[in-house]
Amino acid sequence: MRRAVGVVYLNLHSFLFFHVLSLCLGYSPPGKPKLTSCRSPEKETFTCWWEPGSDGGLPTTYALYYRKENSDAVYECPDYHTAGENSCFFNKNDTSIWVNYNITVVATNALGSNFSDPVDVDVVYIVQPHTPENVTVTVMEDKDGPFLRVSWEPPRKADTRSGWITLIYELRVKLEGEEEWEEHRAGQQKMFNIFSLRSGGMYLVQVRCKPDHGFWSEWSSTTYIKVPDYFPRETSVWILIAVFSAFIFFILTWILNLKSNSVKHCLLPPVPGPKIKGFDKQLLKNGRSEEVFSALVVPGFPPTTSSDCEDLLVEYLEVYTPEEQELILEEGKDLQEGCLKSKGSPSDSDSGRGSCDSHTLLMEKCGEGEGKEEKHQERAQKGKRQQKHQTGWEEGDVSHTREDVLSPDMSEGRVKTWPSVFSPLPQYSSRPLDHQGSLETARQLCLSDSLFPPPSTSSHLSYNAKEGLALGSGQQEFYLGKKQTHPSNPQSQPRWHLQAHSDFNISSMDRKQAASGLQLPGFRSTEYVEVQRVNQEDMVILQPLFSSSCQRDGHLQIGQGEDYSKVKGVDSGNMLLLQREVEVKREEEDGDRYSCDIQDRVTESCYTTSTAASSQVTGKPTSCAGTAMPVQEEMVLAANGYVDAATMLL
Amino acid sequence: MPENFRSVSAVWVGLVCLLFYSRLVRVGAAPICTNGQAGCHILSLADLFDRVIQHSARMHGISSDLHSEFEQYFFPSKNHIGRVNRICHTSTILTPNGKENAQRLAREELTEVILKLLVAWRDPLWHFQQSIAHHHDFNNFSSNKALEMSDMVHELRKGVEKVAEKMQMLGIISNSVNSLTSPEALIPSDRAEWRLMKDYVLLYCFRRDSNKVQNYLKILKCRIIPQHEC
Repeated sequence: MRRAVGVVYLNLHSFLFFHVLSLCLGYSPPGKPKLTSCRSPEKETFTCWWEPGSDGGLPTTYALYYRKENSDAVYECPDYHTAGENSCFFNKNDTSIWVNYNITVVATNALGSNFSDPVDVDVVYIVQPHTPENVTVTVMEDKDGPFLRVSWEPPRKADTRSGWITLIYELRVKLEGEEEWEEHRAGQQKMFNIFSLRSGGMYLVQVRCKPDHGFWSEWSSTTYIKVPDYFPRETSVWILIAVFSAFIFFILTWILNLKSNSVKHCLLPPVPGPKIKGFDKQLLKNGRSEEVFSALVVPGFPPTTSSDCEDLLVEYLEVYTPEEQELILEEGKDLQEGCLKSKGSPSDSDSGRGSCDSHTLLMEKCGEGEGKEEKHQERAQKGKRQQKHQTGWEEGDVSHTREDVLSPDMSEGRVKTWPSVFSPLPQYSSRPLDHQGSLETARQLCLSDSLFPPPSTSSHLSYNAKEGLALGSGQQEFYLGKKQTHPSNPQSQPRWHLQAHSDFNISSMDRKQAASGLQLPGFRSTEYVEVQRVNQEDMVILQPLFSSSCQRDGHLQIGQGEDYSKVKGVDSGNMLLLQREVEVKREEEDGDRYSCDIQDRVTESCYTTSTAASSQVTGKPTSCAGTAMPVQEEMVLAANGYVDAATMLL
Repeated sequence: MPENFRSVSAVWVGLVCLLFYSRLVRVGAAPICTNGQAGCHILSLADLFDRVIQHSARMHGISSDLHSEFEQYFFPSKNHIGRVNRICHTSTILTPNGKENAQRLAREELTEVILKLLVAWRDPLWHFQQSIAHHHDFNNFSSNKALEMSDMVHELRKGVEKVAEKMQMLGIISNSVNSLTSPEALIPSDRAEWRLMKDYVLLYCFRRDSNKVQNYLKILKCRIIPQHEC
């Protein structure tokens, strides 16, 4: 008894001593191990791994114990080595599916043991297969281009053939050098096609699998595949489209370029600008009106050439008597141009007249003429011009005066002329100021003459070609209104001036006035003048008619007597042939001349001729009686008292 | 020109409609007949198996979801005190626990096991769904799943019965299967037990059993109709 107690006491003592000694030395029981995972690759076996805790400094052993569901029997791990360190492998015999395993790991060392936390495992839910095997990738051709065909096999141990395990696969592809994989689910099939490859690219392919309820396997080892070079059909189509579009674009651009003008006209129609001849927009912008207006003076307007004259209005001369009495020499003839003579009666109608031959217009001209005359007078006062004016009607100077007189008016453009039928139209100079004798020209001069006093005095009418012819005949005065057009082209050729001198009346009136062609007071009735001669300066010298008068359109009949108001014709030597008539008879010759209707007509063959174009003064005294003009100038009168300027022209 | 175009397009539309109609007619309209009667579209055994297997897979999926939900809300820790002893009411049914065991079974036996399992779970699931519907702890999603699950079991059983019929007709299995399908014969004494099961245990057990059913069906299929899919 005593011995047993003593042995026990001894054992206990040694045990305690050992433990105290161990503790003093720093040893401890092992730490708690931990089961990390249990996995089954094919749902037939499984393996559990644990993690050992601290060993406490002493050699520690681990043991795994498990209990099956609804059973109290504890079994130890059958195999610690197959699966490696700290693992326990359950083979097929020990594995039951759909059975709950309660697994515990125990760590034991000299000082004690430690149990891990138990883990419940059902093999069905811990299946993680091996990687798919035999992954092959091939390049195959299709109508759209090459593609990759990836094929593999399930892991060897997984029994899919019997339907025990159902695996679903997944593969991933990437180009060499890229970072991101392109993943594809393949389902249960063991083959997969990859399209849209880059030509000449190196691809990497990997496959993995998973049971329907389980874990994914690891990725298989990488398979490399190189895609051969090819030309993608999509790109070629796009290239074709791009080239085609560029081609069309270029064509359109080229066409647009060609038709740029018409396109511009279509889109941006040109703004109509001013169409006035001689109108200069720049001058207008500059703001200087004088320049603008001076620019408007186009030398070509109004046209005066013979070629244009038919289209324009008839040029004619209107002679008006100013203010209270107006004596108008009428023409008996009807001109083609329709130049009508103004009336003698105050009541005037505009019918049958040209646009320029309104009564008021002429009155205007008269007024202007007055002003002009004054101007002319002023001018005339300069030097020899004055003398010319005063002497009037001297040969050679008349032209100057005429010019002076005429030119300012010319420049002002107040005199308008129309081309006459008669023909070669007188030429105008573009700048009337600067030449001698190169003036205007009225084709026709319609003279309204006033009755002249006794034939002894020959009246010279100083004719202002531009505005009017002033006759002094007692108190009669008249104007020779001449309308002239601007010379279309300056020619040195036949230009002539009509100048009528009124002699007889001058004495009674202010000679100056008469000389300058101003209006004379006191016209009583219409008088006729006859052209006495044309002087060397191409001035027509008129002389009043004594007896002849023509009545037309209500004009007074002056009377009967000699008159040289008829132009018989123009001979080849550029001579105007006047016809002396006792009475003026109306006749028409070549449609150019007017003649008054007179009951008795006495046609005389005497006529005066004058040379309009010659520079020499060839004055011829008329062979006919009645009129003897001391002056050299000659005047030509139309048959009806009108002097046709045109006829003077040759 | 527009008239031509209209007529052509009308013809095209008509053709397309005809095509679609014919496809529709081909797929669904004809009734499935297993006896090879005239005038009905005959489903092959493989098609039947595929349908059944898909059905069982879906059933298992739903049960897994429900089980996970339960585990999250009611048993966060696995080491719950008073650990539940998971005893399923279907444990009395002998089921193969391994591949070899399953392959060792005859087709008829396998089919029987499947049917037994399905039959055994019809009532418990129905009651489970009822309890969940009245329980306010569960959301609608769970109750819907429970309902769907219980319906699926019912339909799966019918499907498997049809497959068994087909197999019997084809002479693949013998006619002994039908006699085992009556529910009373299968589980006469287990009625009281499953009422004691807690919902969690029920879900746990059902998840497992649905897995079994699916697996057995696959084995059966691959054994009877060896295809490239197996």
